[in-house]
Amino acid sequence: MNKILAVARWEYLEKVKSKAFLIGLLVTPVIMLAMGFLPMMFVTQEDTTTKVLGIIDRSGAVADQFRIRMESKYKLSNGNPNYVVRIIDSSPSDSASAVRSADGMVLSGELEGFCTVGTEIVSDSVDLQYRSRSVGDFQLLDRMEKTLRGIIAEKRAQAMGLNPSVVKDLTEQFELRTVKLNKSGGQEEADFGKVYFSSFAFLMMMFFMIVTSGQLLVRSVIEEKSNRIVEVLVSSCSPRDLMAGKVLGLSGLGFTQLVIWGTIGLFISLKTGNVFIHPAEAGFLIMYFVLGYLFYAGVFIAAGSPFNTEQEAQQINSYLIILLILPIVLSFPAMRDPEATWLRVLTFIPFFTPTMMALRVPIQFPAPWEIAVTIVVMVASIYGAMVAAGKIFRIGILSTGKSPTLRELIHWVKNG
Amino acid sequence: MLTIENLRKEYARVVALEDVSFEVEKGEIFGLIGPNGAGKTTTIRIILNIIEADSGKVLFDGKEFSPDLQNSVGYLPEERGLYKKSTVMDTILYFAELRGMARSTARAKATEWLQKMGLGDHTKRKVEELSKGNQQKIQFVSAIIHDPKLIVLDEPFSGLDPVNQELFKEIFLALKQQGKAVIYSTHQMEQAEKLSDSLCLIDRGRSVLRGSMRDVKRKYGSNTLLIEFNGDGTFLESLPGVKHTIRYGNSAELQLDGVVDLRQLVQEINARLDLRKFELKEPSLQSIFLEVVGARKTTQEAQA
Repeated sequence: MNKILAVARWEYLEKVKSKAFLIGLLVTPVIMLAMGFLPMMFVTQEDTTTKVLGIIDRSGAVADQFRIRMESKYKLSNGNPNYVVRIIDSSPSDSASAVRSADGMVLSGELEGFCTVGTEIVSDSVDLQYRSRSVGDFQLLDRMEKTLRGIIAEKRAQAMGLNPSVVKDLTEQFELRTVKLNKSGGQEEADFGKVYFSSFAFLMMMFFMIVTSGQLLVRSVIEEKSNRIVEVLVSSCSPRDLMAGKVLGLSGLGFTQLVIWGTIGLFISLKTGNVFIHPAEAGFLIMYFVLGYLFYAGVFIAAGSPFNTEQEAQQINSYLIILLILPIVLSFPAMRDPEATWLRVLTFIPFFTPTMMALRVPIQFPAPWEIAVTIVVMVASIYGAMVAAGKIFRIGILSTGKSPTLRELIHWVKNG
Repeated sequence: MLTIENLRKEYARVVALEDVSFEVEKGEIFGLIGPNGAGKTTTIRIILNIIEADSGKVLFDGKEFSPDLQNSVGYLPEERGLYKKSTVMDTILYFAELRGMARSTARAKATEWLQKMGLGDHTKRKVEELSKGNQQKIQFVSAIIHDPKLIVLDEPFSGLDPVNQELFKEIFLALKQQGKAVIYSTHQMEQAEKLSDSLCLIDRGRSVLRGSMRDVKRKYGSNTLLIEFNGDGTFLESLPGVKHTIRYGNSAELQLDGVVDLRQLVQEINARLDLRKFELKEPSLQSIFLEVVGARKTTQEAQA
């Protein structure tokens, strides 16, 4: 037991101090934020200063209403109007020069952007344009479109002779709120972004953690093999102790990562006031995390120990990475239909269980029997993986020369 | 304290060891000698339970290997491998812990040994910053720090400068004084001859010669003629009654068949060379080695 602890301590300390671990630790949350969080934040981010918009209205029927509605409806958090609209005069005969001078104002920063409205708005083809340096402000585009749609619809209705108040009722704006129901009958407001983010964040975290630790594990085994340190190790303690120590040390490493990232997550939650996940759901996710981590530790040991160089091991590692990345690829369809059969089937394959659960839990909590069965499947798989890995490890760490074939590996497991 | 009986080991249909047996006593330095690829390292790995023999026995004080013996053996492998990125002290402490030492005692011992090795101020440095020779010393310290009863060293002198070779030798002798058994492998016969109390010569997977250095030499008797001369000594090999010759420029060691008339032989040599000195003595280990290995080769070739 002391030797297992000695190995664990060594593996833990040497790897915690390694650059690869530090980079993985710091870079992963950054990548996660960059990939999952930032685009969403930018897209939905509220403006902090008033934006100046222009409108060149050749029809003469839209500009005033556009200005009134844009300026009165949308406010900044400090109460100032979000948008100020400048109506740019243009004679119908020379609208081209008005557009040119407005273009100049956009380029000089005087205007955020401006709309041009064609002469005819009642007919079928309305010529509408928004010209700006940046067309990525989805919030602004969405608001302008709604406003213009409302105004034009009213004008058209009036042209058909409908009562203006009826028209107003007809074109009333509304917003769709989404409410996520849970099994206990409670409900909570959820938006797609949050659910997607929490599910995505957990997937990425699991992915990066398993991959970094797996790589570190494989690298250390191969280093020990290539310079024959392993002979000293195996003459000092049994391969079983050695492997157990490595898994234990690695788990410590994973735990450290989890604590650090958890703290960062909590900090972000508190700072932004966003609760991305329920504590109960988080508990289940952490459990799957641990199960998946241990399972893959065994898989990586089995995958790494027969090889003599990192290049050889890299190949098998990349297959494992594909297995891990699959759920990330599937996260969008899963979001659309969390009850899909294929999704539920994948959940019971141990290679996918932890990641699939990370995907499913925040979207829609799986049935209790699914949780129970997957836990049993995972525990059995971990046991199986460890036993098989132990056998491959025992022979693999001392094998040199050419890499074994799959058939030889199976032979090792059967006869080891 | 260590008995090796009839070891046999095959790797994928290649026979690495056919039949190796020898005994190592407490308080002796035991040389495991033989040409490259003879099976020295395989034998060592089997002794240390790194690999299993297909058949044969390894007994420590009459008992088979058990895990608690792991703490009483020390091992310096042939390949000089250490964790490059780790510090000297951390590395030694890890190996010591794996041999069942407590960290605090290990730290004190390691400091002491590093001082003795002249590496006292290197404890905090990374292994990769050290020279090859110094890395070898670190490995050596790791192999003996836990005060093992049996120390196994695979080619301990290769790659060491003469000063450090002397240092290692002194430590070997000190360990012998303390009653440890030291097994080391080498293919440098001169060194083995001076250092070993007993030896085993392994050739193509067989222990072909074994026993104490005295017995081995006695067995090959004083039928070696050592001469110094001026002139061309190429004809010496073809002289009647000479089994074997090792020539070194202006001197030569002649293995005699034991029946040749010594006076006649010397006269003949003297007639053809300017003979400056001759002496009848025990054969060198080198010449025993060549004789045994050479003879085995001829008989095997004859059989084939």
